[in-house]
Amino acid sequence: MPETTEAPPARRWGIAPMSRRRFLSLAALGGAAGVAGPLLWEQLSSTTTGASKGSLGSSTGRTLVLVTLYGGNDGLNTVIPYKDPMYAAARGILAVDPTQVLELSEGFGLHPSMPRLHKLWTKGHLAIVHGVGFADPNYSHFESMDIWQTAEPSDPTGSGWLGRWMDKVRADPLRAVAIGPTVPTLLAGERVQAAAVAPGPIRLPGTPLDVVRYRTMAEIPRTESGLLADAAHANADLLEVRSVFGPIMEKTASSDPLHLTGAAKPGGTGAANALAIANGGGSQSAADVLSTQLSVVANLLLADVPSEVFSVELGGFDTHTNQVDTQAALLPELDTAVGAFLDAVSGTKRGRETVVAIYTEFGRRVGANASAGTDHGWANVLFVAGKPVKGGFYGEPPSLTKLSEGNQVYNLDFRRVYATLLEQVIGVDPRDFLGGRFAPVAFL
Amino acid sequence: MSLDPTASIALLYRRLGFGASADELSAGVTAGYGSTVDTLLGGLGQPDPGGDAITPPTFSSPLAGRAALRGDVAARQAYERTLRAEARELMAWWVARMVATTNPVQEKLIFLLHGHFPTAIAKVRYASFMYGQNQLFRTSGAGNFTQLTQAVAVDPAMLIWLDAATDKASDPNENFARELMERFTMGLGTYTEADVRAAAYCFTGWRLDLRTGAFSISALDHSNAPQTFLGHAGVNSGTQVIDIATTTGASARYVPSALWSHLAAPVTPTSPIAVELSAGYAADHNVGNLLRAIVTNPQFTSAATAGGLIKQPVEYVVGALRALSVKAADVQTQPDAILGTLAGLGQVVFNPPSVGGWGQNTYWLSTAAALIRWQFASRLVRVADISPVQDAAPNARVEAVGQLLSVPTWSAATARALSSAVQSPPDLVTLALVSPEYVSN
Repeated sequence: MPETTEAPPARRWGIAPMSRRRFLSLAALGGAAGVAGPLLWEQLSSTTTGASKGSLGSSTGRTLVLVTLYGGNDGLNTVIPYKDPMYAAARGILAVDPTQVLELSEGFGLHPSMPRLHKLWTKGHLAIVHGVGFADPNYSHFESMDIWQTAEPSDPTGSGWLGRWMDKVRADPLRAVAIGPTVPTLLAGERVQAAAVAPGPIRLPGTPLDVVRYRTMAEIPRTESGLLADAAHANADLLEVRSVFGPIMEKTASSDPLHLTGAAKPGGTGAANALAIANGGGSQSAADVLSTQLSVVANLLLADVPSEVFSVELGGFDTHTNQVDTQAALLPELDTAVGAFLDAVSGTKRGRETVVAIYTEFGRRVGANASAGTDHGWANVLFVAGKPVKGGFYGEPPSLTKLSEGNQVYNLDFRRVYATLLEQVIGVDPRDFLGGRFAPVAFL
Repeated sequence: MSLDPTASIALLYRRLGFGASADELSAGVTAGYGSTVDTLLGGLGQPDPGGDAITPPTFSSPLAGRAALRGDVAARQAYERTLRAEARELMAWWVARMVATTNPVQEKLIFLLHGHFPTAIAKVRYASFMYGQNQLFRTSGAGNFTQLTQAVAVDPAMLIWLDAATDKASDPNENFARELMERFTMGLGTYTEADVRAAAYCFTGWRLDLRTGAFSISALDHSNAPQTFLGHAGVNSGTQVIDIATTTGASARYVPSALWSHLAAPVTPTSPIAVELSAGYAADHNVGNLLRAIVTNPQFTSAATAGGLIKQPVEYVVGALRALSVKAADVQTQPDAILGTLAGLGQVVFNPPSVGGWGQNTYWLSTAAALIRWQFASRLVRVADISPVQDAAPNARVEAVGQLLSVPTWSAATARALSSAVQSPPDLVTLALVSPEYVSN
């Protein structure tokens, strides 16, 4: 049963936010390296009054990992209707060789470079939702992604869809975690912004006294708004991130939970190369980017942190040109990272209750352009993976002949997917966050 | 509410440059706001003795690269290493130049134009092309925006970045046509999909000679079919498309709104300030004049503006290095820590994440970024010059660090924290560098 959102704040944490904050401050002062994560949670749980579910994680016991693919991945060459005679005709030079696709069912096959997702499919742990999108698209990367991340198609300028959840439950910022330098809109609320954690240890440079002063400086009431207050809150949240995640990150900084070291790595994407350049041209290869992010998520999950939502991302999907090679580099990166991640966490209850959702801002034009690429399109497929997922196809595949300005037409509002995730993974009433009722999709 | 003279001058130097030195601040207060605006903007298009002293790297020619890429695996790998090394040298050069500049408005405008016409070396690959675009912003950035857009469009970095140089009349690639209108000139909602497709036809046949960087139009691949673009019939060239797009009423609001958003506070093209600025801008489409109109608008020197922006990471890092008198030559020769800091904060110069450029304000306020800033600040104070704070009497050090960092006032919480650290100037300066007031712009 989904919980209502009228619960007292921080109930799932078991204690009132202020006293918890104070507890963590003391931990930070004492050099929190000695306070292991699980111990901390045990102590917190022991003070609970109403949190009979152990207060770790969401009320459903599940964890959501959102994978955002920036640029607009070409779904038509990812989940391929290869038995539809229209496919080869419409795609021309971009059509994937039907003998190479990884057989799904109903005439569809997966892109040849996605064996791990294919394995999840055969085990019944991969849902593929057809025809996802929203009405009146304008084909802008940025507005489309804002619509996906705010779930407000008519005015995609406000808070993120999960940011609103954090606001409403007055969540601790650690309940949702973005991996990387910045927090995507989807995890930004009006009052609460998710924590951001970069791979590697979290080492505060100061002495305990410096930390006290830093905390003094950040003591701006949460009710204050404006950029100065926002900056102060981010500083305060860093101390909390350090207290809770620091010991885990310290212990796992050089670990490889995904076991990808030495594995064949697919070719480079731009962002990764440039990061490698900026970081000293080291060994970080393109393939490390998503897998490194998911390694951090795996380590935090294996340590049973109480975060319920994680956000990771992969860019470079805007294939206006030379699409075949670009997808052949990016899709294996996605496939390897997500597959290895789910394997890595499958040994724990927490991991077995983890749901990964993979989405992008729009699909791409059915016909190729003269640059051996595709322009911005409309409907797309969306993946949901994990043990709790009921594998299979959902929704209706959009037609390859009844196109709108050359694009496949959406027939399933993306907010139906969100409603499902909010209800079945986060355990809240979706209507409170989506501005209306959206029928769930049966993949959970 | 308008700001007092000191706060106004400090704001002007932070927004048009990377902060003021104590001398600049006091000279500005004495000379007055209008006169300081004249001094700063007078630098546009003028020589920059400080920045010019930073020698640009030399880059291998793409021609040599083409040969290497046709060679064996070892040759290709060696060339990839060369390209990565050159990218780092390019990044280090520009950051060092920003640290060294004695003409900060010029450098700041180039930085803002890089964010407005974002191209990334990750896709462009050749440092020489990225450097060429930077030089284009340097020579033409403060002039006519239509001419600037025409020049950027046919410059190698943009031709590669938005795939303009790959399409044919039969099936045009829409990438450049769409982003030209959405991001560079007019803004979303001011054109139709039919305009995107019409413009795409006009850009067909554009070609780049990768060996020389020369632009040409292939008659064979260019569509001469007349298009109707934004209500203008008979349009069949990319040049016409850019001329039309940059002189629309929508563009006259969009360009001022974009610059106001990065110099004052984020606004939309339909906001009153964008509409107000559009009249003057439409008269000449001159970027330098628009800069002047922005900083002399009464709304610029207001509390709303002063509280309206968070420093972008480049502004944060360069501002701190300048304030603490770090030698630009050292930045250029030992860039690892600086470039690593920028990467950790999410803003690597010459490598924006997408054609949307970088985000703003709360985009830069994450716990991950807070940690990187703290680590950077604590390392910086150990190698930099903090004598203006060190030499002050302990009870004058909180004020001294504010002056050093162009922060006119501290909040009560920050003042309390800083006051507790006056006995240890390195700790005091570190704390000030990570304070909400310094993180703000």
